[in-house]
Amino acid sequence: MSWSDIRRETAFVLRKKSVSLLLVAACALALFSVWTGSVEVAQQEATIERLLEGDKADREEVTHKHHAYGYIAYYTFHLTYAPPSPLAFAALGVRDVYPWKHRIRMLALEGQIHESDTQNPELSLAGKIDFTFVIAVFAPLILILLLHDLRAAERAAGRHDFLIVMARTHGSLWPLRAGLIVLGLWLALILPFIGGAIVNGVPIWQMAAVCAVVLVYLLFWSLLCYWVARFTFPAPVLASLLLGIWLATTYIIPSVGNVAIEEAYHGPEGGDILMTQREAVNDAWDLPHQTTMDAFVVSHPEWQGKTETSSLFEWKWYYAFQQVGDENARPLFQAYQQIAEQRYEAAGWVALLSPATLFKRTLTRWADTDAKAAWQYERDIRTFHAELREFYYPFLFNGSEYNEESLAERPAFQPNNTNKYPGIFH
Amino acid sequence: MSSTVFTIARDEWRYWRRSSLAQTVLIIALLLAAASVWVTHAAISHTTEQRQHMQSESITAFEEQPDRHPHRMVHYGHYLFRAPPPLGSLDPGIDSFTGNAIFLEGHRQNGATFADQKQSTGLTWVGRLTPAYVMQVLTPLLLIVLGFGVMTREREAGTLDFLKVQGVSPLVLLAGKGVAMAGAGLLVLTPLIIGALLTVLKGAQVVPVLTFILSYLIYIVVWCALVLLISTLARSNSVSFSGLVAVWILLCLVVPRIASNTASVMVASPGKLETDFAVLKKLRQMGDGHNANDPAFKAFKDNLLAQYNVDSVEDLPINFRGVVAQKSEADLTEVLNEFAEQQMAQQQSQAVIARMFGWLSPMIAIQNASMKLAGTDLENYQRFMREAEAVRFEFVQSLNKLHAEGMSLEQDANKYKSAEARKAATVDAENWQMLEEFQFTPLPAGQRFSNSLTAVLQLLFTAGLVLAFTYIAGRRV
Repeated sequence: MSWSDIRRETAFVLRKKSVSLLLVAACALALFSVWTGSVEVAQQEATIERLLEGDKADREEVTHKHHAYGYIAYYTFHLTYAPPSPLAFAALGVRDVYPWKHRIRMLALEGQIHESDTQNPELSLAGKIDFTFVIAVFAPLILILLLHDLRAAERAAGRHDFLIVMARTHGSLWPLRAGLIVLGLWLALILPFIGGAIVNGVPIWQMAAVCAVVLVYLLFWSLLCYWVARFTFPAPVLASLLLGIWLATTYIIPSVGNVAIEEAYHGPEGGDILMTQREAVNDAWDLPHQTTMDAFVVSHPEWQGKTETSSLFEWKWYYAFQQVGDENARPLFQAYQQIAEQRYEAAGWVALLSPATLFKRTLTRWADTDAKAAWQYERDIRTFHAELREFYYPFLFNGSEYNEESLAERPAFQPNNTNKYPGIFH
Repeated sequence: MSSTVFTIARDEWRYWRRSSLAQTVLIIALLLAAASVWVTHAAISHTTEQRQHMQSESITAFEEQPDRHPHRMVHYGHYLFRAPPPLGSLDPGIDSFTGNAIFLEGHRQNGATFADQKQSTGLTWVGRLTPAYVMQVLTPLLLIVLGFGVMTREREAGTLDFLKVQGVSPLVLLAGKGVAMAGAGLLVLTPLIIGALLTVLKGAQVVPVLTFILSYLIYIVVWCALVLLISTLARSNSVSFSGLVAVWILLCLVVPRIASNTASVMVASPGKLETDFAVLKKLRQMGDGHNANDPAFKAFKDNLLAQYNVDSVEDLPINFRGVVAQKSEADLTEVLNEFAEQQMAQQQSQAVIARMFGWLSPMIAIQNASMKLAGTDLENYQRFMREAEAVRFEFVQSLNKLHAEGMSLEQDANKYKSAEARKAATVDAENWQMLEEFQFTPLPAGQRFSNSLTAVLQLLFTAGLVLAFTYIAGRRV
């Protein structure tokens, strides 16, 4: 292979109108996805800013208005949130379905945590175009269009045998031509991403990893196309074959796998969790205080001996039965969560048969926008709720006088994945 | 002439019977269509049954509560479940993206909880195995693979000139090929048509079902015409094929997502959490209904005292605390509804933008027509939310009325003093029989039909446009 070979093939490839058109289209789509993804992430960040501000003002007002720990704990909400990671612009993931912001107070958590303040369901149905989608679903189709008739087109034009005879080495013809096309597509797709990554402050190593995994993914599909293109069928038959492979791996296997997995893993309905929790919390009003308190000290032995109540309503009893309600619903919730995790894990095996899904799972994992990240956020909320209870219990159970200064020690939610890597434009 | 058309169509079918490619894709498409109808139907029936069961359980639980203070029942609350409509088994629409249970209680409008997607495998991000998706996205691909060569093949083989010499006009040829392709489209559509007709037996209204089927037929026509058009314009089989696949990618995969991105970038929707702040702020200005001594209720109190011509709230014939609870619930609900309507309007305007793209992509048009007719679109979801709110307000206010009339202020104020006092401040459990059977029904047939008109019009427009171009192209052959 010589320099002149490369120059000749580059000129040839680029002069084909269909090739340059497809490359431009791919680049435009990648640009669009990066742009709208960045806007989306910026909107999420702006929302968090506004929520933080509103949350603070709200809390101050509550503190100003009430003067007892019981009331303060009842009326004070705490904002919890999972900020988008730098890479989120390229893989929006499931943040439109799973909540990433909640306002939590010290009441029973199961009654609060399952609310979904999600986005427009009709837009979620159509799906969003993000960089991950462009690569995983769209790029293979472009490759199929570009590469399926690599040889068939020359055969149809009657130049095939001539070209074979004239080629200096084997590598200087088909592999070179295909390589140039793949390289061109990779550049058309990855350059918009790199631009977006710089603006969003994605760390270099992560940027490099994404570029590499995109290249590997494109190479996989290119090799497949290259291999199929060797068959001496007419171009449309070859393209149909490739489209069939694309359809089977991208849509049929995942959606059939989804049906099978949902059949295989069944568990409690979301509704059951809510009902159980509600019954437990409400029944407590009619039960003798001691019954609730006995259940409470099983999980909180440190308050043994301080659970006496002298009137029919006391805050420590109120918060104790909220907690007992949570504890009653917990096994159900854990079963629900376990089903979700088992399904997701089983889907990982199906993904091995679906390169597009595998690619998407990889990118959303890196971007912390997958179901696992959403679960982690939920665990963070549970931890925070526990901290909040630990903060108030001593005041409630020891019957301390209210002292506003003590609130300075009150835990505040710290999001787990803050923007650790500020970008050059931040 | 019509016999020539059918001869041509029959000939095309014979060609497909002999082509293993055509046969393979037809079988795969039919299998997918049938499987999707069956699988979705099974899943939706299961969901419907379960939600109906939980709905009646929820009512029973409420009614079986013992004698209590009515305000306790306000917070005990009630659950509503949204059962999918009959046509939802063919097009579940946004069902799995929205919460399907809603908890109704006093002083709060909760969002719907537990969307199915939260337990999902994450495998359905490209598309779900539903009849709607198979018809909207995959059937066009089938028509492309079957029909890319209808004209170019004749041209490449040189038979086109023969046919012309024999007096077959290109337009008749096109018509014949079109009939052949429409036949294939109809074949794949059969499972959906049967499924749709079966829903009529299960109580779906006839007009939406027929329009539902009709809109899918128009959609098939659009794609048949597109395939004919490009096959007529293209020089060769491979150009025709590549061109058609590019059009399919654009119309079925890219434009719908561009529409959804555009909508969310153009109209920001702040979400419930943010409006909660505004609600809380207003709430504090209006006074907390739990606290009848809140200064915010002073004017109200003075008014009430004047109305009954008494000097203090203790002398009122009704329980002042209950009256305050009633008033503050009404005031608060007004505010809550205002914000809820605002948010719905925002989502609506996003949806309107996305739906405009139906003029560009028939896939968006059919998706909207189908969801609207099935009753699984945003409007129907919002209808559920509004109905749920009406149920909430009614039962909470009935309880507040009991609170005002079922006990004296003194009884109410002393309820935590002793066990007897607490017992005095309860009302009889018989009063809990206030909930009505709730079953969510989508918008009435006529409304769904007229809501779908824009989308059907978009489909007809595209069909007309593509057919016109095909006609022009056909005359030039």
